[in-house]
Amino acid sequence: MSAERVAVLGGGSFGTVLAHLAGRNEHPTRLWMRSAERAAELNAERTNARYLGEHRLAESVVATTDLEEAVRGAALVVFAVPSHAIREVAGEAGAYLSGEQVVLSATKGLEPESFRRMTEVIRGETCALKLGALSGPNLAKEIIAGQPSAATVGSRFREVIAVAARLLHGNNFRIYGNHDLVGVELAGALKNVIAIASGLAHGLGFGANVRALIVTRGLAEIQRLGVSLGADPLTFAGLAGVGDLIVTCGSELSRNFRVGVGLAAGKSLETIFDELGEVAEGVNTARVAHALARDRGVAMPITESVHRLLFAGVTPQEVLEDLMTRKARYEVDFDYSAEVPPR
Amino acid sequence: MRKEDQERAVQEVIGRVVGGVAERGSQALENAIADTLYWERQRIEKERPSAQRTRALARLDAQRRALLGGSDPERKRLLHELVEGFAREVLGYFDPKVHALATRAVPVGLRTLLKATSPRQLLRGSEHGLGGLEERLLVDGEVAHARALRERGTVVFCPTHSSNLDSIVLGYGMHEEGFPPLLYGAGLNLFSNPLVSFFLRNLGAYRVDRRKKAPLYKDVLKTYATVSLELGYHNLFFPGGTRSRGGHVESKLKLGLLGTALDAYYHNVKVRRPRPRIFVVPMVLSYELVLEAETLIDDYLREQGQSRYIITDDEFASPRRVLQFLSGILELDTRIHLTLMEPLDPFGNRVDREGRSLDGRGREIAIDRYLRGVDGELRRDPDRDREYTRLLGERVRDAFFRGNTVMPTHVVAYAAFAELRRLNPGADLYRLLRTGGNHESIPLPDLFRRVDELRGRLRALAAEGRLRLGERVATLGADDLIVLALRAFGTYHTRPALERVGDRIYHRDRNLLYYYRNRLVGYGLEDDER
Repeated sequence: MSAERVAVLGGGSFGTVLAHLAGRNEHPTRLWMRSAERAAELNAERTNARYLGEHRLAESVVATTDLEEAVRGAALVVFAVPSHAIREVAGEAGAYLSGEQVVLSATKGLEPESFRRMTEVIRGETCALKLGALSGPNLAKEIIAGQPSAATVGSRFREVIAVAARLLHGNNFRIYGNHDLVGVELAGALKNVIAIASGLAHGLGFGANVRALIVTRGLAEIQRLGVSLGADPLTFAGLAGVGDLIVTCGSELSRNFRVGVGLAAGKSLETIFDELGEVAEGVNTARVAHALARDRGVAMPITESVHRLLFAGVTPQEVLEDLMTRKARYEVDFDYSAEVPPR
Repeated sequence: MRKEDQERAVQEVIGRVVGGVAERGSQALENAIADTLYWERQRIEKERPSAQRTRALARLDAQRRALLGGSDPERKRLLHELVEGFAREVLGYFDPKVHALATRAVPVGLRTLLKATSPRQLLRGSEHGLGGLEERLLVDGEVAHARALRERGTVVFCPTHSSNLDSIVLGYGMHEEGFPPLLYGAGLNLFSNPLVSFFLRNLGAYRVDRRKKAPLYKDVLKTYATVSLELGYHNLFFPGGTRSRGGHVESKLKLGLLGTALDAYYHNVKVRRPRPRIFVVPMVLSYELVLEAETLIDDYLREQGQSRYIITDDEFASPRRVLQFLSGILELDTRIHLTLMEPLDPFGNRVDREGRSLDGRGREIAIDRYLRGVDGELRRDPDRDREYTRLLGERVRDAFFRGNTVMPTHVVAYAAFAELRRLNPGADLYRLLRTGGNHESIPLPDLFRRVDELRGRLRALAAEGRLRLGERVATLGADDLIVLALRAFGTYHTRPALERVGDRIYHRDRNLLYYYRNRLVGYGLEDDER
C-alpha cells in the first residue's frame, strides 16, 4: 500500500511537532503555514526555529503556504491553528476537503463568540463528518526532543481513531482512543484555565500543596461543566483531563502556566503575550468557561477567580483569599451543593 | 407499490435478509431461526384458543424439529421460508378484501356516517361538523422545496408523532399538496378505523405487526423500506417510533429506520442507479389539542423508564371520541400545522432544490465520497454508517424543535405548571401531579404575569429560529391567550386541564397540564426557572 498522506494546518509548535511525528512514520506530510519565510526555512534547513529551536524535522515533512496542496488527497487533515483562527482556516480548507478524509482538531480551545468546540466549528465550515480531537499532556518541546509521550484521540468514529493511530502512533508517541469526543475536547480546553491559576500560585511563591489543591479541585470543576455539556466524567480521569492538568499546572513549558506566573509578577496581559510569542488559549477559554458555567448553573470557583483576575481587575492576593475563605465542603460533590455544616 | 415491483421487492428482501444472516456463519443462522421461533411462539401463545392458533403452533413445532435436525443448507431453506412468510405478509396488504374486512369491523355509528358519504366528502363539508378540517390544516414550510426534490431522487418524509390522527392529517395534507402516495409502515391497530384506513391507503401504507418481536421480522421491515426507496418509492417514517407519550417534541429517534436512507443510497451508488439520491424531509405536526392526550400522559407517567406497551384501548379506538375530538377542534379557532422543514441528505447535510448537498458555506458536497476510502473505493462500514445516521438523527431532531409551532394551550399550560411548581417548592413531581400540592388554584394575575413573561421569551426564541409561533401566540396578548387556552381545554377532554372560577384558575387535571406544557421542554426555558 502506498504511504498515506497527512496534512497539518498550522505551523506553530504543536502543529510542527505533529507533522514531524507523521513524517517520522514515513508518511508524506504537508505542513501548511501562513509565513512563506518560515515555510522556506523549514524546507531548506529542516527547522522551525521560532518555535522549536534547532531541532531537525523529519525529511517527509514539506512546508507549504498553499492550502489546497496541503489538504487535497490527504488521508488525515489535522487542524492546529489557534481557536480564534479556526473558523477562517476551516472555511478556506473546506473548499478542498472531501467526505472520505479524516479530520482532527489539535487545538485546545473554544471559539470565543459562539462557545463552540473546535470540531463543531470545523463541521459547520466544511463537509467533514469523520471528525475527532487530539488532546493530552503534549509539551511540544519534549516531544520534539524524542521523549516518550501519549495523546488521546476522541471521536465517535472508530475509523478516525484507527487512522490517527496508524499515522501518528510511534515508538515515542502513543495514541489512545476515546469515543467521548465532547469530553476530550472540553477537558483539553478547560484545563488551560486551571493552569493559569496554578501558575499564579507558583508565581506567588506557594509550593506543591497548593498546586495539588488547584489541580484536584480544578479537575472537579471542569468535570462538572463537562458533564453538564454532555461529556463522560471518566474522560476527565484520562490523558486529556488529569494527564494534561498535571503537565500544564506544573511545567514552565506550559504557556498558560506562564500566563499565571506573569500575572503574579504584576505584568499586564499584553506584556505576557509579547513575552510568550504564542497564543495562550486559557485566557480566551476563561471567558468562555465563565459564560458557560453561568448559563448552565455550574459552580466553577477557580475558573471564576481566574476570570475576575483577567478581566475584572482583581488582584492575585484577593483571588487567593477568596478561594481559601470559602465554606468547607464534601469532596465528592457533583453539583457543588454539599457544604459541611458548622457544628 | 406497483404490482410489477412487488415480487421484485419480495425477492430482494429475502435475498438480502437471508444472505445477511448466512454470511455471518452457521451459528448466526441457527440463532436467527431459534430466536424467530421463540418470539413467534411467545406471540401466538398469547392469542385466544382457535383452530388457527393450533395450526400456527404445530407449524412452529415442525420448524423447530427441522432446525434441530437440519444441516446448514436445510436451515438456510428454513430461514428462507420464515423470511418469505414475513415479507409476503408485510407487502401483501394491498388487498381490497383486507380493507373491506377492516371496514366491517367498526361500530355501527361511524359506519353509518361513512356510508352516507365518502371520507373525502366527509372532510370537505358534511353537516356533521367535520367540514372545516380543510381550513384548519395549514401545510407550511419547505413545501415547494420538497416537491422539487421528488424529481431529483427519492424522498423520506419524517414527521413527529403525537396522535394516531397524524395519519389522517398527513394523508390529507400531502394529498392536497400534490404529493403522490407515500409508502408507510402502519401499525395493525390503525387499520381497524375505516376513516384512518382510507387515508392509510392513500398514504400507501403497508402493515406492521408490532406484536411480532423477532429481530428477523424487524430486519424484513427495514430491508423492505430500503428496497422500496431504491425502487424510487417515497416513504414516510415516524422516526420517534411511537406517539410521543409525554407530549414532548421527540428528542430520541429510532435510528434503525432512519438508517435505511443511507442503506438505500449506498446500494444506489453501488449499482450506479441514475437518480441515486435519497432526501430526508423532517416534518412537524403541531396540535392545539391531542386526541389521546389523557391516555398517553397516563402511560408516560406509569411507564417512564420502563418498556412501553402498545395501547389498544385509547381514545383512538372509540369512534365517538374521535368525532367528539374533531368536532371540538373545528369549533375552536385553531389550526393544525403541518410544517415541512429543510430537506437533508442521509448524512444530515442540507440539500438545495436541485438535490445538491451543501456544506456550511453553500459549497456542493460530493456525498458518495463519504462512503469511499481515500483510494476512491466504495466501502461498507457499519460503525461508520451508524455514526452518519446518528448525525442525521441529530439534524432531524433539531428540525423537530425548530418546526414546533407553539399554540395557546402550550403557553398557558407551561406557565400554569411553572406557577404550580413555584407554589410548591421542593415537591416531588409525581406527588405534585397526584395531589396538586398546597394550592388548588392560582390567582389569575399571577398566571397572567407568567404567560406574559413566557410569551416574551418564546418570541425571542422564535426570532432566533429555534421554534415557531402560531399566529395567535405571535399576535395576541396574555389575557387573550389564557381565554383561548381555557376554551380549548374545556372543549374536548374529560376534565379540563385548567378552569377559571372568578379571578382564580383551578388546575383540574394536572397530568394533562403537564402533557401540554411538555411541548415547550427542550428550549432551555426550564433552566431560567432555577
